[in-house]
Amino acid sequence: MTSLTLKRLSLFALPLAAVAGLNSAAQAQEWTPSRSIEFVAPANPGGGWDTLVRTVSRVIQQEGLADESFAAINVPGGGGAVAWAQIARDSGNPHKLFATSPPIILVPLAGASRYDHTDFTPIARLITDYSIILVPTDSEYQTLSDLFDALKDNPGLSVGGGSAPGSMDHISLAGLADAAGLEASSVNYIPFSGGGDAMTNLMGGHIEAVVTGAGEAVGQLGEGSQIRALGVSAPERLGGGLADVPTYQEQDIDYTFDIWRGVMGAPDMPAEAVAYYQDLFVEMQETDGWQQARDQLGWIDAYQDSEEFGAFLDQQQEQFSDVLSELGLLRQ
Amino acid sequence: MDAFNNLMYGFGIALEPINIAYVFAGVFAGTIIGMLPGLGPISALALMIPITFAMEPSSGLILMAGVYYGAIFGGSTSSILLNAPGVAGTVATSFDGYPMAKKGQAGKALAIAAYASFIGGTISVIFLMLIAPLLSKVAVSFGPSEYFALMVLGLTAVVSLSDKSLVKGLIAAVVGVIISIIGIDMQTGTERFTFGSVQLLDGIDFLVVALGIFALAEVFYMLLRGGGGKEAPRNAIGSLKLTRSELKEIAGPIGRSSILGFFTGVLPGAGATIGSFLGYSMEKRIAKDGDTFGQGNIKGVAAPEAANNAACTGSFVPLLTLGVPGSGTTAVLLGALLVMGVNPGPMMLAERPDVFWGVVASMYIGNIFLLALNLPLIPYIAKILDMPRPLLLSLILIFCMIGVYGMSFSVFDLLLLLGFGLVGLGMRLFGFPAAPLILALILGNIMEESMRRALQISGGDWMTFIDKPIALGLLVVALLSLGLPLLKKRRKKIPPDVAI
Repeated sequence: MTSLTLKRLSLFALPLAAVAGLNSAAQAQEWTPSRSIEFVAPANPGGGWDTLVRTVSRVIQQEGLADESFAAINVPGGGGAVAWAQIARDSGNPHKLFATSPPIILVPLAGASRYDHTDFTPIARLITDYSIILVPTDSEYQTLSDLFDALKDNPGLSVGGGSAPGSMDHISLAGLADAAGLEASSVNYIPFSGGGDAMTNLMGGHIEAVVTGAGEAVGQLGEGSQIRALGVSAPERLGGGLADVPTYQEQDIDYTFDIWRGVMGAPDMPAEAVAYYQDLFVEMQETDGWQQARDQLGWIDAYQDSEEFGAFLDQQQEQFSDVLSELGLLRQ
Repeated sequence: MDAFNNLMYGFGIALEPINIAYVFAGVFAGTIIGMLPGLGPISALALMIPITFAMEPSSGLILMAGVYYGAIFGGSTSSILLNAPGVAGTVATSFDGYPMAKKGQAGKALAIAAYASFIGGTISVIFLMLIAPLLSKVAVSFGPSEYFALMVLGLTAVVSLSDKSLVKGLIAAVVGVIISIIGIDMQTGTERFTFGSVQLLDGIDFLVVALGIFALAEVFYMLLRGGGGKEAPRNAIGSLKLTRSELKEIAGPIGRSSILGFFTGVLPGAGATIGSFLGYSMEKRIAKDGDTFGQGNIKGVAAPEAANNAACTGSFVPLLTLGVPGSGTTAVLLGALLVMGVNPGPMMLAERPDVFWGVVASMYIGNIFLLALNLPLIPYIAKILDMPRPLLLSLILIFCMIGVYGMSFSVFDLLLLLGFGLVGLGMRLFGFPAAPLILALILGNIMEESMRRALQISGGDWMTFIDKPIALGLLVVALLSLGLPLLKKRRKKIPPDVAI
């Protein structure tokens, strides 16, 4: 009996709700979330995506920016591919977001995901980090050109990075080598299981140089350190602990590389929802809570709205597929 | 007495009432997290970052470190009682802990685990305090060649872990290596053994295999053998008390394994799991009654438990002195420190002595809390074995499934768990030892990656494994540990085993 009553009730309630929805839409043309938002980190707890998801959720909640809460959800597997496959099935859902960064382009290009950035709705680019080239403190290389001259003479010299061939660190290095006049595929790139692993091997003198994220390296630099930086991939000098590190461009190598991070949503998300989230993130980036967290994590604000972000992603895809095909790693 | 002054300074921080509360909360939460299979310290710590965000960095790290070593401490409980390792570092504990429980000595096994964990934890904190800065040099001296040699040495334990038939042990080990290389190959980005499945791209999680092959297989085996609830429940928990001779017996293994475990933990990428296996197989080899390991030998519980707790503390060396995480768990801790505004690294000891010494001092306190917390609980926790068989088996099943699902939220992993349960059952029925498979699964991938990395750096020159003194030394020890037992056999004039 109860279920019958409920059914009846819902028969009445549904049209009512629809009318109510229409009304509010007509009033303000605005969309607001009607339940909590699933914010997916396509990886295990602890990584870059996870940190972004949790920081954003926390700041939005602490600053009281949204009526509904952001629930951080980890969907690990396949370097993101498992989560992407799940989200791709959720077309049109305005309550589903995920954190993203270059792997959304690189993983599909390497043939390891059926879905790429064009399958999802770009919401906003939020922050960026840059690549950094490190050598041991007592290394003979003082500038990038010292290093690249040595690499030209002896292609066997090993440069370590924190990720697999064809992923971020390798792409960044290959692009830099290309800009410095080397054959990108000639660099002996040694993949380690993370930036920290690569830096330990650098300190131990097992490899010549390391390419990794500047944010990951900044704690290692400075007085008493066993490693020093030769250059960062930023368009202009960074602040804080990296103020002394020259950019590639300062050293006459015309190359920059962004390790950007942003937010995307389920496929075909309604435009009103996209607009809502865009505004929310703009507002979030102005809060003290965000600025404090951002500085502590070594992030740099690099906001782009949905449209700019989408165009940027297309352009990144083109750039990356060029580099990958030069390296012989393109598998699409 | 610089270390002494610093330590007093550290105790000044750790003994602040709020920090004592954090240590207690941390180790308590850690113990529970450790007991539940699947929910490991990594996810627990990641979930805690928002809580620690607003804390004093020293308090935050004290709390999180407590969760970490508390989980390793508590992880032995489910290994011993249910054959279901709570965390990866306590797999080796189940080799002898579970047989002890089956013999009605669950109480004793848990007590030994608690004492060994306490001593391992405490000895390693002393090392951490005295020589951490020096050790950072040891940590970085291990490059790919050295890791390869270390993994080879670790793999020689297959011989001592294959109790009856060496051939069956080797077969299990090879299968373990094969499972370990499933997924995207780090060196080339190529997929291996994934059969086009996205689910397998990241490989198979070690705990899925361990829970399947140990816990689930045990459930299946009991069902086959006992037909469900016919057997009387094993009501005997046994006494917690150790005799004087038993204490004497485990003193040596605990001491040696604490030191071995600590140094294994210092090496980035080795950690508690490898430390506990190395401790276990070392003791099995040097013990006079080594052949009773695996049947409920108390030394087989003491050694891995001392080693895994010592390794856990050791893994703070690269984190606090170099700012590089040696494991997934310390990577999360590193992230948490950054969020709290502390830059772990070479300058941290000078810039934030409060964090370093506060945490070191809190570890002494935390270990005492853990012992005081765990010992009185043993009789109650061990009561789980008094449950009627059908209930107990269902409970293990649910534990394993929740554990695996909670780790990856993937139904696919549940099917894998079931598959490995059946594999484990088959292995038991046909006399294949499970330990070599697990060991090879842990070491195989690191061994292969290190070897290829080393060769890539050296330009394909195999001398890279011989030119380096540490690598060469480890390989020689590996050879000796394989060769000596054979020589011993020959001296006894027993014809060499044809099976080899």
